[in-house]
Amino acid sequence: MKRLPRSALALAATVTAMLAVTACSSGGDSPPAADQDGSTSENITLTFWGSYGNGGHSAQQDVLNNELIPAFEAEHPGVTVEYVDIPYDDLLQKLTTSSAADELPDIVRADLGWVPRFADLGVLVPLSDVMPDWDELADAVFPGVLATNYYDGKYYGLPLNTNTRVLITNPAALEAAGRDAPPSTFDEFVAMGEALEGTGITLFADGGLGAWNVMPWIWSGGGDITDAELTTSSGVLDSDANVATIEMLVDLYRAEKISSGIIGNEGAVSTSEGLPGGNYATILDGPWMTSIWSEQFPGFEPVFSPVPAGPGGSVSVVGGEDIVLTTASEHQEAALDFIRFTQTEKFQMALVPTGQLTVIKALGDKQIEIAPELEVFTRQLETAKNRLAITQGAEVDAILNAELTPAFEGKVSVREALQNAAARIDELLPR
Amino acid sequence: MTLQDTKVREAASHEAASRPRRRRVPLTPYLFLAPGLALFAVCVLYPITQAVRMSFYDWKIVASATSEFLGLDNYARALEDPQFWVALGNTGFYAVATLVPQVVLGLAVALLLHKRSPAQPLYRVLYYLPVVTSWVVVSLLFRFLFADAGLVNFALSEVVPVTDGQISWLADRWTGMVAISALGVWKGIGWSMMIFLAALQGVPTSLLEAATVDGASRWQRFRAVTLPAIRAALGFVTIMLVIGSFNVFISVYLMTGGGPAGRTDVLLTYMYHQAFGNLDFGYGSAIAVILTAIVLVLSLVQLRLFRDRDAGQVP
Amino acid sequence: MRTSLPRAVVVARHVLLLAGAFVMVAPFLYMVSISFTENSYVLTTPPQFIPDPPTTANYERVLAMGTIPRAFLTSLGVASVTTVVSLLVSSMTAYAFARFTFPAKELLFRVLLVGLMIPAVMLLVPQFILAKHLGLLDSHLGLVVFYVAGSLALNTFLLRGFFESIPAELDQAMQVDGANAWTRYWRLALPLARPGLATATIFTFFGAWDEFAWALTILNDPDLQTLPIAIRLLAGQGNNAVQWGLVFAASAIAIVPVIVVFLLFQRHFVQGLTSGAVKG
Repeated sequence: MKRLPRSALALAATVTAMLAVTACSSGGDSPPAADQDGSTSENITLTFWGSYGNGGHSAQQDVLNNELIPAFEAEHPGVTVEYVDIPYDDLLQKLTTSSAADELPDIVRADLGWVPRFADLGVLVPLSDVMPDWDELADAVFPGVLATNYYDGKYYGLPLNTNTRVLITNPAALEAAGRDAPPSTFDEFVAMGEALEGTGITLFADGGLGAWNVMPWIWSGGGDITDAELTTSSGVLDSDANVATIEMLVDLYRAEKISSGIIGNEGAVSTSEGLPGGNYATILDGPWMTSIWSEQFPGFEPVFSPVPAGPGGSVSVVGGEDIVLTTASEHQEAALDFIRFTQTEKFQMALVPTGQLTVIKALGDKQIEIAPELEVFTRQLETAKNRLAITQGAEVDAILNAELTPAFEGKVSVREALQNAAARIDELLPR
Repeated sequence: MTLQDTKVREAASHEAASRPRRRRVPLTPYLFLAPGLALFAVCVLYPITQAVRMSFYDWKIVASATSEFLGLDNYARALEDPQFWVALGNTGFYAVATLVPQVVLGLAVALLLHKRSPAQPLYRVLYYLPVVTSWVVVSLLFRFLFADAGLVNFALSEVVPVTDGQISWLADRWTGMVAISALGVWKGIGWSMMIFLAALQGVPTSLLEAATVDGASRWQRFRAVTLPAIRAALGFVTIMLVIGSFNVFISVYLMTGGGPAGRTDVLLTYMYHQAFGNLDFGYGSAIAVILTAIVLVLSLVQLRLFRDRDAGQVP
Repeated sequence: MRTSLPRAVVVARHVLLLAGAFVMVAPFLYMVSISFTENSYVLTTPPQFIPDPPTTANYERVLAMGTIPRAFLTSLGVASVTTVVSLLVSSMTAYAFARFTFPAKELLFRVLLVGLMIPAVMLLVPQFILAKHLGLLDSHLGLVVFYVAGSLALNTFLLRGFFESIPAELDQAMQVDGANAWTRYWRLALPLARPGLATATIFTFFGAWDEFAWALTILNDPDLQTLPIAIRLLAGQGNNAVQWGLVFAASAIAIVPVIVVFLLFQRHFVQGLTSGAVKG
């Protein structure tokens, strides 16, 4: 009975000691406090949040930390850039909580869909107002990606890197279907599905029915989600062209030529493993897949081709990240310098081999020189479009998933599903 | 049985007698309470009041923006929101489907393990292993197991041929909820087992021996001696499991993401979607408050069920 | 008592326990086996239980990464301190609820219960703002303070039950001997509630060890990262690039300390109340 009290006392003593240590260490190295007097002081630390570190695939983060940031710091003595890697899936939550407590970093690499919502919160600095050289920088980038930074009359960021989805085909499936090239039109796509019957290979797979997933089909089919002025979705999303496009997909799905992953079955083989694994013949995906497969499935040689063309041509969706400056930054000038640095050839080209496409128009050719396999993506980007530039992009995805899934399951007609989705999207549009 | 009842009764009255007199201002208990309650008040209670306050507003997360006061609008909205009811139904399903197996199996395992044997420590570790594996990891693992080409389908067709092995578990509402509940039960049995094992240490062996001498059967001994002695633990376990089941989040978030099309959403995944996905913290908070209210009522009912008999005996 | 058990019962008991243990451990073994497998072999039908060829490459990569070993030590420190502080504070609170009568006792206890019920994600924003005002952001102290606060309700609730089951006669006897409340708590209640304390230790340690959302929210400095964050960073984004072998290797390493804590503390179950004080 006496043993416990004594050991408990010892524990208590340990706690006190440990707490003291923790307290000291936390007091000792708090960087924000150290550079409080900003512009005049010698040493400035810029904090930069992003999710370059893509799991075990650290190629991008390595280039940033070992090459680019040191180069910037060498050019700007006294400025230190501290890059903080945050898991992509959690970055949005962290940005949200940090906005609430006014604890944002200086610079953020944000998904392009997030810029309007954070601009709406008032936590981003409008770059078009504070950069004297704005016009010059804006003119250099692809207009499609620049547009993702536009909110309420101002630009709140600059595009950092871009990407788009193209059709990726497993060569073995091409052979099984008796084709020598990937399908280039909707008709060829459907025909390939028929040719694959009995082979055990599923024609197509995708991971959902959000805008990122269905918009390439809708645009290529000649339709859209709203009118150009963002005033209405009804009458646009439920157009005959869209009904035909979605019906094509639904028919393929009902004939088991599209994997159930598209309606959100997390149990379906994922696209990144099912394509090289021979389960799927084609997927739509981005340029980052190359580096993933080279590690995980050496020897797999995917075939890249443009999104199959429908009545509207071959039109894909723009993805990527923008770089933004937060109102919390106490070192605006240094941060703007870093943002300018991200637009340089050095920065842009260093990340190309890791699957990050450049946003600078003039660098397109050079990019293909460095990474010839990116040519299809570069070409596809010329016509690629943006998703809706509104604050509730996540809600649009939720609506599309919720309304289209029953259509794929055959519970409602495609027209009805699109009408329902359009009615709900109408409510989100600014009037 | 009578013997045992009397003893409990005696113990209860002694306990009551040992408490300090009420008339004096009791300073000692407050000294014991102070550190815990102070920390709790600052770090938990105060944030709770803030979260409740949010639920009455169209909450703008940035302090500089003004939030519009909505009164009970967010609550009314929840009641009219079909997705809220889907999520509530799924949460209820999960609570029922996980509670009973965890209590019954947890207690059964604890009883089996309570007897001393050389293999006992090993068994304990094995049964406890799922509890200490991180939720994130086991959720991903179970998604893997319940995948179309996963181990579960393999086992149900090749090992025990009861299905064709073609079930898309995560592609439908109820099969999805079954998969999620299976994870909950698997991960939770070790937890309730632990508490029951600890509680079984408090069962007076003298009483068990006396009952055996009286010729009571194994079941009678369990009913008359063991069960009353672990009543507090039983109450604790069921209350905690109900609370835990209503707060299920990570497993759903990672196994199905609430999909397909929100059909496996539970209250917390839906709340998370509203709060962090749509930045609608007002509505998210309202859902959280409703959830808390439901759980609070359930817990108080349970607390009453498990305490009543003891309380009735205190004169 | 053991001798009185028929042999058939003993055998049946072991068969049952073994079958149950297999179900509990099978998914875990699967995970371990994947951690010894090269990546491209991960998704196979039928699933492979024995890695072929087995490889320790995943473990080597994880250990060579630097971030994982450092995060491991960080988590070890944070979880240990959290456990000790939480046990001390919550056992005091529980003792008050179990052994004293005072005004508003049940009300206070119910308020404490509410703390268990409110979903933690909803408190993220208010707690984050609070932590900012308390100067606890980006520090391990911020983790410990909120972990202790978060574990209080559960531990108090658990330990109250254990303290209440200690026979009141013992308390009275000590009181007659002139022992004050602190002595009775420290010398009598704590040692007798040992199985409860051990249980609480195991839960609290694991809770702090495994916590993700709060650590992600308040920590920015990569050097301060805890293990769940480091593992999550390893897992990458969603479905796209998960290197299961790597993630499961890191997870297998992450389980070791919790198992150790479990083994160390569960032995306190053996000397229980009955063998200790009541008989003596």
